[in-house]
Amino acid sequence: MTVLKLPTFSPSTLTNAASLLRILALAAIAGAAISSRLFAVVNFESIIHEFDPWFNYRATRVLASQGFTEFWNWFDPTAWYPLGRVVGGTIYPGLMATSGVIYNILHALHLPVDIRNVCVLLAPGFSGLTAWATYMLTKELKDESAGLLAAIFIGIAPGYISRSVAGSYDNEAIAIFLLMITFYIWIRALKDGSVLYGTLAAVFYYYMVAAWGGYAFITNMIPLHAFVLLLMGRFSHRLYSAYSAWYAVGTLASMQVPFVGFQPVQTSEHMAALGVFGLLQLIAFVEIVRSYVASKQFQVMLRWFLVASGIAGGLAIVGLTITKTIAPWTGRFYSLWDTGYAKKYIPIIASVSEHQPTAWPAFFMDLHMLIFLFPAGVILCFKELREEHVFVIIYAVMASYFAGVMVRLMLTLTPVVCMAAAIALSSLLDTYLSVEEPARPDSNGVDETSAPGADVPAEVTVSKKKKKDVAAAAAAAAAHSAATTATKAKTKPSATYGIFGLDTRLVVIVNAIFMLVMFVLHCTWVTSSAYSSPSVVLASRRPDGSQNIIDDFREAYYWLRQNTPQDAVVMSWWDYGYQIAGMADRPTLVDNNTWNNTHIATVGKAMSSSEEVSYPILRKHDVDYILIIFGGLIGYSGDDINKFLWMVRIAQGVWPDEIKEPNYFTPRGEYKVDDQASEAMKNSLMYKMSYYRFNELFSGSPAFDRVRNQQLPREGPKLDYIEEAFTSENWIVRIYEVKKEDPLGRDLKTANAFDGGKKRKPSKPTSRRRALTA
Amino acid sequence: MQPRLLSWLGIALTLLVAPAWAKSSTGDKVLIVTDAKLEMSDYSQFWDGLRSRGYELTFRKTSEDEPATSAFDVPSFSHIILLAPSAKTYPQDLSPQSLVHLLSDRTQPTNILFVLQPSTPSVPLRDLAREFGISFPPPATPLIDYFSAVSPANATSLLLSPPLSQHTAGFESGKILYHGISHLRSSNPLLVNFLNAPPTSYAADPLEPADAVVEAAASGGEGLWAGGRMGLVTGFEVLLGGGRAMWVGSLDLFADAATSIDGEATANNAYALALAAWTFQETSVLRIDAVEHRRISESAPREQYRIKDEIIYRIHVSKFDPTTGEWVPTSEIEDMQLEFTMLDPHIRTALKPASEEGWYEAQFMAPDRHGVFKFIVDWRRKGYTALHSSTTVSVVPFRHNEYPRFLSSAWPYYLGALSTSAAFVLFCALWLLGGDEEAKKKKTQ
Repeated sequence: MTVLKLPTFSPSTLTNAASLLRILALAAIAGAAISSRLFAVVNFESIIHEFDPWFNYRATRVLASQGFTEFWNWFDPTAWYPLGRVVGGTIYPGLMATSGVIYNILHALHLPVDIRNVCVLLAPGFSGLTAWATYMLTKELKDESAGLLAAIFIGIAPGYISRSVAGSYDNEAIAIFLLMITFYIWIRALKDGSVLYGTLAAVFYYYMVAAWGGYAFITNMIPLHAFVLLLMGRFSHRLYSAYSAWYAVGTLASMQVPFVGFQPVQTSEHMAALGVFGLLQLIAFVEIVRSYVASKQFQVMLRWFLVASGIAGGLAIVGLTITKTIAPWTGRFYSLWDTGYAKKYIPIIASVSEHQPTAWPAFFMDLHMLIFLFPAGVILCFKELREEHVFVIIYAVMASYFAGVMVRLMLTLTPVVCMAAAIALSSLLDTYLSVEEPARPDSNGVDETSAPGADVPAEVTVSKKKKKDVAAAAAAAAAHSAATTATKAKTKPSATYGIFGLDTRLVVIVNAIFMLVMFVLHCTWVTSSAYSSPSVVLASRRPDGSQNIIDDFREAYYWLRQNTPQDAVVMSWWDYGYQIAGMADRPTLVDNNTWNNTHIATVGKAMSSSEEVSYPILRKHDVDYILIIFGGLIGYSGDDINKFLWMVRIAQGVWPDEIKEPNYFTPRGEYKVDDQASEAMKNSLMYKMSYYRFNELFSGSPAFDRVRNQQLPREGPKLDYIEEAFTSENWIVRIYEVKKEDPLGRDLKTANAFDGGKKRKPSKPTSRRRALTA
Repeated sequence: MQPRLLSWLGIALTLLVAPAWAKSSTGDKVLIVTDAKLEMSDYSQFWDGLRSRGYELTFRKTSEDEPATSAFDVPSFSHIILLAPSAKTYPQDLSPQSLVHLLSDRTQPTNILFVLQPSTPSVPLRDLAREFGISFPPPATPLIDYFSAVSPANATSLLLSPPLSQHTAGFESGKILYHGISHLRSSNPLLVNFLNAPPTSYAADPLEPADAVVEAAASGGEGLWAGGRMGLVTGFEVLLGGGRAMWVGSLDLFADAATSIDGEATANNAYALALAAWTFQETSVLRIDAVEHRRISESAPREQYRIKDEIIYRIHVSKFDPTTGEWVPTSEIEDMQLEFTMLDPHIRTALKPASEEGWYEAQFMAPDRHGVFKFIVDWRRKGYTALHSSTTVSVVPFRHNEYPRFLSSAWPYYLGALSTSAAFVLFCALWLLGGDEEAKKKKTQ
């Protein structure tokens, strides 16, 4: 029984048409994914965004101009001055290598594309590939229709767009694609028990290791999957060969990345993979022995052997950890389990906004309706619970937890949410778009009597049955794909459940379409309004609605580039290190690669101490200029005074005797910059630099900080050891020059007082009365 | 004939000039600022001495505005002598601030010789002296010493014998007549002691009894301005490329009248000229001409070295020779050091004079630590020009292909890899052979 009569086509036409439609749909999805990421380019310009991308861009330029071996051996003397940075050994080169390859290919084809544009457009390009990889993976879970839905979801979900808009040239840009393709190939390897696919998964795993520090997620997801399968008693030779191939090749390959080195055999994060590998060998050995030995006692003995060796292996790992042969868990790891850990012990991690726990609205903001469909999809996975479904369930659980702990890890949650939501929505659509109607139960309401009734349409003729398959297929193809629906119709010709009538179908389908439309609108809106800002250039609206571009950062960086000597060292808080290196091309003390906590704490100490204390630190580090961000004039809240407490905390971590956080609060525990500000606050270099000459803007009336909403003291701070060199148009960036030692050997405060016309107190010879009277 | 005559004349002139004292290392224009009260002819011997050494003298009263010490921020004179000006205020270009500015100009420093009034230095000079770390006793308290006085009746005119030093070349020996004030020096390391007060001297009003001074000091008032640590003549070497300043407490040191006392000649003129020679950067002037660094096996310098490289660092130092007016390479410095610094010195080694005159060199192995290092030579000795040189290079780790290829400690791993490979080949061979037999068995079955 069907609700609608559909036109009939030959099966080959249908499959051809369906696959053509799929290809077209995938192409359209890739187009949508790429174009929605171009808001940033359209609204602003083709520019590298934010902070880390600036370093990646700079590194890529070195790679493109000097070749890979020079890049590999690149020592950057301008970063972390004067420590320098061995760039080749401290980065994941996958991103730069990818851009370099694309750049070289384009140039080999005589397409003279600027390396910057390759970098800017890399993330959107890879998002198209991510959509394809997600399609393939979801196809393995359910069918093509779910795959296409998952592809469009991942294509425009803001959770992923936030890290992959044009210009957001960061490791995540290619890492999510690699994550999905590695998982897909792992599932394929597991399904087929194929060593070839296992090896291929290892190759992509290697690419992932070379591209993103988040590879540890794969390193633990796949072993966890294998382990859960073992616990479920699903050991198979397919699992054995897929996992062994992946682990052996993948681990060896990952150790070839200089930054990773011997970590895969030495750190705790990688031990799970090794443990599962060992466990699989043991189980495989036991299986082989069991197949040759019949004795029951022997099997019991074997089981004990298995358990004992498992425990021994576990103890060995624990023992090695205790003896420090295996590096213990890092602080970053602990902070994943205890959200308060980082704030207590590693302020440098906690100071990064993307390491904060996620706020609940962020889930809706980033995933919209998918977050509601997600649990339904996971439950549907439980219904089938094949090996790949187990994988998705584990992935869903782990990623949900991590996304709750850290805003940044929303990124890893997004793909599984898209997949699960696609499964749920596709099941819904399958049910409601199917033209099949269930058999009407008889008045008796007994199942047995209903069966003959259901058999009636199937009985009619063989040709009719074929026709029905065809019709169902056509209906499915209209929305998604044919094959599985058709097979379902074949296997369950007499469904006892289903939807009656067109009206119910329409209500649900229209509702679903409405939700999808809202989803697209939401994604577009979030992408254009929240995630497409380069943060190098700020945009605001004037009262009349026109756009006002605030370009202070570039103004200041170009000032540095044009007006200071090439080797002038610039000190700033680490957030701006990469931008200074990238845009101003000047050496910096610290940057966003926060590898040396002491060096950052040194900068923190210099910023939070008084001038007299800071000056020797500045001179010791050859600092010529200090750059700070000040938002008090136009209300830019991400400025250095708001980050100041982190500087204090990080400095306090290294010099607890000299820098004390409570000193920077008022006696009542408030963080103030006005008259009540504490002495330590008012004397700190950061405070002085921020508000130096700020009063003069207000011509007599007290100055007002629009970020803190506080009135400043009537008398502004005075500077003796540094002098103002540059202040940008909206005062966002202020640059100070560090004075050289006084030529007459005085301290600079005295020298400054002398220049200001003040007289020094005369000194007298110390009385040596005793010597005289003796 | 004409050109030939001229050239002969030229040669004759150079022969005449050459043996005489030549000019200073920084320039020969001298501005002398003084008060209307002073008669310049009273100091003619000093002026003649300067002129004979090639200086052009320009005189100016403190009441005048011209000639200015600098025009458009470019100094007009190489040296200034402030000859005991007693005015309360000075023109703008002679204010304490502008004088310090002139002294510390890095590109073209002006040297200044301060000569103070006999008993009471003027207020601007007192204020300025404090910036150098020099303080004066209360007004109208000249230096008194009954032990080295010319006559007991005149205890403020002292006969002193300044120590001989190479900074006062040209002054061989003799006594000088000193009539003026003493000053107190701070611990500023840039001060150079030229002449100290006699241990038995003190600064006081000569009309007051000496006991009053002790009592005043004991009651904690002005302090006791007495003893050998008080300075009479003090030089000042401005940091890093600046000029030199000299504070002389006695105007009479330069006067014609003091060149002889009771018919006996004093060394005043020679000493005054020697002081002027140091101040005007004739004597004890050194400079760094060149700095070289390279790997021991190479000839060209590098911008970056590798850790554990053998590095040679060479520096060339010249000394100004005032007799010829030329820079002469000098190897007389024996205590120069080289520091290879990143935040802290990682290597500190002696720079030994090399075989070539003027060159000093040090050879060392770069530390096993990568980073941005500086070769720093910072040689500061009292009276000499400070030598400072800083060259930045980076020290990089081994390149990927510079590590040793085969390690003896890795033999277990090599053996492991080889044995596994061999076992794999063996296994494959056995497998292939064994497979054939099974197929045969099947066939036979």
